[in-house]
Amino acid sequence: MAQITLEKISKSFGSVKALDAVDLEVKDKEFFVLFGPAGAGKTTILKTIAGVEFPDSGLVRIGDRIVNLIDPALRNVSMVFENYALYPHMKVYDNIASPMRSPLHRKSEAEIAREVARVSDLMGISQLMERLPSQLSNGQRQRTALGRCLVRRPNVFLMDEPLAHLDAKLRHLMRTELKAMQTAFDTTTIYVTHDYSEALSLGDRIAILNRGKFEQIGTGDEVYYAPVNEFVARLVGEPEINIVDAELQDVAGECRVGIRAGASIVHYPLPDDIGGKLHASGVGRRIRMGIRGVNIAYKFEKAEGYLPGSVYNLEPIGNKSILTIKTDENLFQTIASNDLSVELDTPVWMYPDPKNMLLFDAADGRFLGRHHQAQLTGRA
Amino acid sequence: MAGLTFRNVYKQYGRTKVQQIFDADKSVTLDRDRRDVDATVRRVASSTAAPYAVDNFSLECPNGTFVGILGPSGCGKTTSLRMVAGLEEITRGDILIGDRVVNNLHPKDRDIGLAFEDYALYPPLNVFDNIAFNLRAKKMPEDEVRRRVLELAPLMKVEDLLDAKPAGLSGGQKQRVNIARALVRQPSVLLLDEPLSHLDGKMRQILRTEIKRIHNRIKCTTVLVTHDQLEAMSLSDRIAIMKDGRLQQFGTPLEVYDNPVNVFVAGFIGEPPMNLARVGIVDDGRDRFFLFPAKGIRIRVPGKYAASVFAGDEVILGVRPTDVLINPDDPKAAAVPIAVFENLGDEKRISIEVGPEEYLTLVTEDEKRYRPGDEIKLVFRETKTHIFDKITGDRILGKE
Repeated sequence: MAQITLEKISKSFGSVKALDAVDLEVKDKEFFVLFGPAGAGKTTILKTIAGVEFPDSGLVRIGDRIVNLIDPALRNVSMVFENYALYPHMKVYDNIASPMRSPLHRKSEAEIAREVARVSDLMGISQLMERLPSQLSNGQRQRTALGRCLVRRPNVFLMDEPLAHLDAKLRHLMRTELKAMQTAFDTTTIYVTHDYSEALSLGDRIAILNRGKFEQIGTGDEVYYAPVNEFVARLVGEPEINIVDAELQDVAGECRVGIRAGASIVHYPLPDDIGGKLHASGVGRRIRMGIRGVNIAYKFEKAEGYLPGSVYNLEPIGNKSILTIKTDENLFQTIASNDLSVELDTPVWMYPDPKNMLLFDAADGRFLGRHHQAQLTGRA
Repeated sequence: MAGLTFRNVYKQYGRTKVQQIFDADKSVTLDRDRRDVDATVRRVASSTAAPYAVDNFSLECPNGTFVGILGPSGCGKTTSLRMVAGLEEITRGDILIGDRVVNNLHPKDRDIGLAFEDYALYPPLNVFDNIAFNLRAKKMPEDEVRRRVLELAPLMKVEDLLDAKPAGLSGGQKQRVNIARALVRQPSVLLLDEPLSHLDGKMRQILRTEIKRIHNRIKCTTVLVTHDQLEAMSLSDRIAIMKDGRLQQFGTPLEVYDNPVNVFVAGFIGEPPMNLARVGIVDDGRDRFFLFPAKGIRIRVPGKYAASVFAGDEVILGVRPTDVLINPDDPKAAAVPIAVFENLGDEKRISIEVGPEEYLTLVTEDEKRYRPGDEIKLVFRETKTHIFDKITGDRILGKE
């Protein structure tokens, strides 16, 4: 049971900087997600904590102990592998007992029996002790593998994309299962994923990693409603958020976002809370306007405040369709009902709701703000 | 350009006894009475032969349509495509392009464009020469070759890459060149075998859009083979779903989504997947309910099934996560505790435990937040509640 602290950790592989002076504090018993694209450095952080990768510089603390020089086997961390890697020839009982039979951590059989019973109760698999892994369902295998990790009462639980190899249907079920068991872990957990829905679903907090540096560390609501920059905004959500060039303008003292549509510009008055803030920072400047597909309305007739465009694509994907609208300058992906039927290139008018606009700096992509930011991120 | 037809097509790997028996016994005609033939085939096949990789597959793709063949690995979808292309022999049945049977035509005479998932571009040739390769091989005059390549290049958005070598291209660009190379021959039928599966998510989505737009522009009959239901749904006019060599259903994306003919199609189409659970039917004298036996949860059976299921029956219930509704005002709604609440940003997912490792999941865009253990009242959207036979898996229809 411990908090984990990384201080100024750097790590290079040849000329590639995998980690660049990262600082991180994971609280005791927190479920913490490391999220980012491939090659961002997520697994390197995990391995650094486990002790199988040594940082070039910086300190790793587990609890209040500096563990840089501690052997991985003595750090009391437990790593869950992709595929769960159960011993196929061992019964569930022996799989779970195996860490306590290793030479380093050997326990008496009486104690092992007690511990296995505790963990299998926790995981709800007590009735499966005599089965081989091949006789288990996928969910039972996951529970057994997690049980094997918990039996050592580790300080830290490290999970490296445990669901990544599963097909979409199974991943959905296993994520639900994992979430259902989460409270039973009662152990500091660091979970690596490149799947935003896993990150949002499971994480108490999420750290978004890009090229060896953290872009943002925050709750799911914070990264969804107030991403610190365009990079984070694009990572969270499906279809990807639309981000386009826009202009901040003053119309009769009111702060508006102007979006170009061919020869003209359509204006969107910002709600007072964000409008006032941006007005003070200077109007007339160029910004970037981000809007998620779910927050765009559309009509097949001309309407006041709607941007003119045409249907670029319509993709039914089951319970909804993705409607791509092309304006003179941009493509916007919006969400339509699954029974919409329309020819490509039909004229259409769209309305990005200013209450849900995410505004970014045009120069560096930094987040400028949004309506109701404090309420939505729970920082009111 | 022409349509594509599969007529009772079978494929069996390896030359088998069944084949020989069929060849000898001319009294068995395939087209007229499928049932008898099937029985014969099965009787013989069970003792001597491997099962059919493609088993009595019939499909009609009208001229200009985009048809997706969708199924898990090993379902026979790629074999079907390869039989069209002439890369596999047809064991029995006919494949027609337009009204011409192509069974015995050489692949090069079938007038087909083919693009596989691995791009197989010629590395020493630049993009222009790669696209032009097949035309030149057919000894087409060089100015006609030039005209065709330059006409197609902007459509495929490769006009700026014509001088580049394949090694310098991204995966998405390679696949564009690959498809351009297939289309430049102006084939009757374009065959695409998992064209997007090597690409990352973002590029996949972009290319999906481009393929759809190009199809809309040139309206070449296209058959797409994929295991990705999202890809099939988003691109196809109609989808053929296959399993174990057999066609399960052929319909528009919305048809297969809303009206799956059996449990397999119901579970294969849609993300998150449809909730499928074995339930009992109980009766309280006035209303009939689905009963989830492990937890004793009861949810009312829609009226349309009044003459289809009765107390004591057991069926497979199918309802999509978007059709499970929270309705606190319905006095007959089932009150159930939440097992898992997930906030995924655009939507929230709520899962109710209905058995060991079995959840009833619902998706909502409602902003309300819940905690595990909170009680909600559930009803099903009655028009979208499906039931299936517990043994055959076939859908049981109600009175609409």
